[in-house]
Amino acid sequence: MDNLFVALFEILSFGAIVVLVVLGLGIIASMMGIFNFAQGEFVLLGAYVTYIVHSAGAPVWVGMAAAPFAVGALGFVLERSIVRRFYAAPIVAMLGTYALGLIIREIVRGLIGGLYLSVPEPLGGSVNIGTMHFSSWRLVIILITALVMIGSYLLLARTAFGLRIRASLENPALARASGISTNAIYGATFAFGAALAGLAGALIVPVFSLFADLGLRFLIQGFVAVMVGGVGSFAGPVAGAGVIGTLAAALPWIIPPVIADVLVFVLAIIFIKFRPQGLISGKGV
Amino acid sequence: MTETTPTTSLPLPLRVGRQRRWQVLPIIEIVVLAIAVLLPFVLKDYLTIYATRVLILCLFALSFDLVWGYAGIMSFGQAVFFGTAGYGVALIARDLGVTSILLVLPAGLLIGFAFALLLGGFLLLGRHPSSVIFVSLGTLTGSYAADRVARGWYYLGGQNGIPSIPPMSLGSYDITEGPVYYYLTLGILLAVYLLCRFLVRSQFGLALAGLRENEQRIAFFGYQVQRLKAIIFSFAGAVAGLAGSLYAFHEGFVWPNMLGVVISTQVVLYVLFGGSGTLIGAVIGTVAIEAVSFWLSNSYQDIWPIILGVLLLLVILFRPAGLISLILSERERVGNFGRLPEEGDRGSS
Repeated sequence: MDNLFVALFEILSFGAIVVLVVLGLGIIASMMGIFNFAQGEFVLLGAYVTYIVHSAGAPVWVGMAAAPFAVGALGFVLERSIVRRFYAAPIVAMLGTYALGLIIREIVRGLIGGLYLSVPEPLGGSVNIGTMHFSSWRLVIILITALVMIGSYLLLARTAFGLRIRASLENPALARASGISTNAIYGATFAFGAALAGLAGALIVPVFSLFADLGLRFLIQGFVAVMVGGVGSFAGPVAGAGVIGTLAAALPWIIPPVIADVLVFVLAIIFIKFRPQGLISGKGV
Repeated sequence: MTETTPTTSLPLPLRVGRQRRWQVLPIIEIVVLAIAVLLPFVLKDYLTIYATRVLILCLFALSFDLVWGYAGIMSFGQAVFFGTAGYGVALIARDLGVTSILLVLPAGLLIGFAFALLLGGFLLLGRHPSSVIFVSLGTLTGSYAADRVARGWYYLGGQNGIPSIPPMSLGSYDITEGPVYYYLTLGILLAVYLLCRFLVRSQFGLALAGLRENEQRIAFFGYQVQRLKAIIFSFAGAVAGLAGSLYAFHEGFVWPNMLGVVISTQVVLYVLFGGSGTLIGAVIGTVAIEAVSFWLSNSYQDIWPIILGVLLLLVILFRPAGLISLILSERERVGNFGRLPEEGDRGSS
């Protein structure tokens, strides 16, 4: 019984991490129609910022708080200078953002070398219930993921800014005619997606430690999750991330990890093949 | 010349003859071939070995150019066919002791073809036409999955791959790396190149180019769009398989990276850099990137990937048609199939 709870907790916390990583990816894909191949590297940058701030002597949580803003700012600059040229052609966008990701990844690799650098958890220890131990930091990740999810939903569904974003998504021409600067909206949306990735990177770096290919492992997983969930809505990618994250964390308990890892992707691709619109079809929030 | 010809007008084959005077493409092709033939005479031995590897990668790049440059299918998993063929011939050599060139190269070709048929058939055929994004993600995932399986499978050597594959043989003669292997590869590359050149200039190639430019219109003409895509995808898989088996025997070992995302994206870089949609562009891109990489790797090993990324970004932003478009006119790059496009025809859809 105890083991079951521990397993469930592991699954839940890994699912939360995947949701956190996919959220930014999903928002950019759904709201802008761009599959951002540099998203994994935004995660990496978030982790790197946290590491830098920590090694400069500041507490870890300062770095974690700074990471989303730093990465978001970079995302805004990149969108303004480069990514906005790609909107017309989704495949070129994939290639272009892939090139961006390659540049970021290799720069970070050059800065940290081929090392695995560890960052301590800002909140150590564990919460004990009976004989079971739950890592407090993973609890915090689950909590923050839930908060970020609700926050993003409210931002998109309830605020005037969210309304503008959705308007620009559904009918850019009409949005422009109504006086909404779609250019600025796209820049802000991209920056927001990048900031979410930065936050994800900052939060998971104590769990996974910092290495140059950190973002890569999440990238394919993230894309598959977005496709499974369905592009075009807010709920779709989140649902997809939940499914993929849960499967990816749960299957290794039953079958050998390598097979589980591959099986998740194979199942996901088959699912997308026969249901191209994903779990949740339709646009909007 | 200002009159606008309606799009329904008959082809005007008469005008082809007049345009024959300045064809840059055949000149480039002959120059590249001449350089390739003469190269082993001036290179040191270890450089000839390196050049052989580059030629094999050129063959691999051709396969990607066929699917992306001609048919507009974004395959982020071309290494699957390259790698499975490599592993396949390595297993044949290791477990069955068969190294005859007359058997292993066709075997590699067939393995590449079979896997491409399976993956391409699944991704491209079916009731719903597949979106471009789905195909690219599907091939990317295939590549990632193949890499993981190879790493985890003890029979395939796990992380280390299969080392010390015996050399390819013809009768009792062992084909080892060096000038012989170089000319063998060059001959195969030339044969495949000519076959592809014939293919893309044929009616089939015209339909493929149409797919790339405007898929819906080709479908309205009554072509089986998905079937065309699956055919070219499988053909490209066979070419990649041939390249993979050559690579396995040349290096003497295969390892999981050969299947993975890294090689898959590397071939994308080659073709985009050189110029997709021209066969010679794929060759030039591969040679250019590999040559600069070789030249820089001694002194600037750390920053080379960064430079590569920046170069790629610049090419995508400012030269979408690749390096080749610097010397080749747009009209010749696209190729002509009888009637030359009028200026007014372009861009109107």
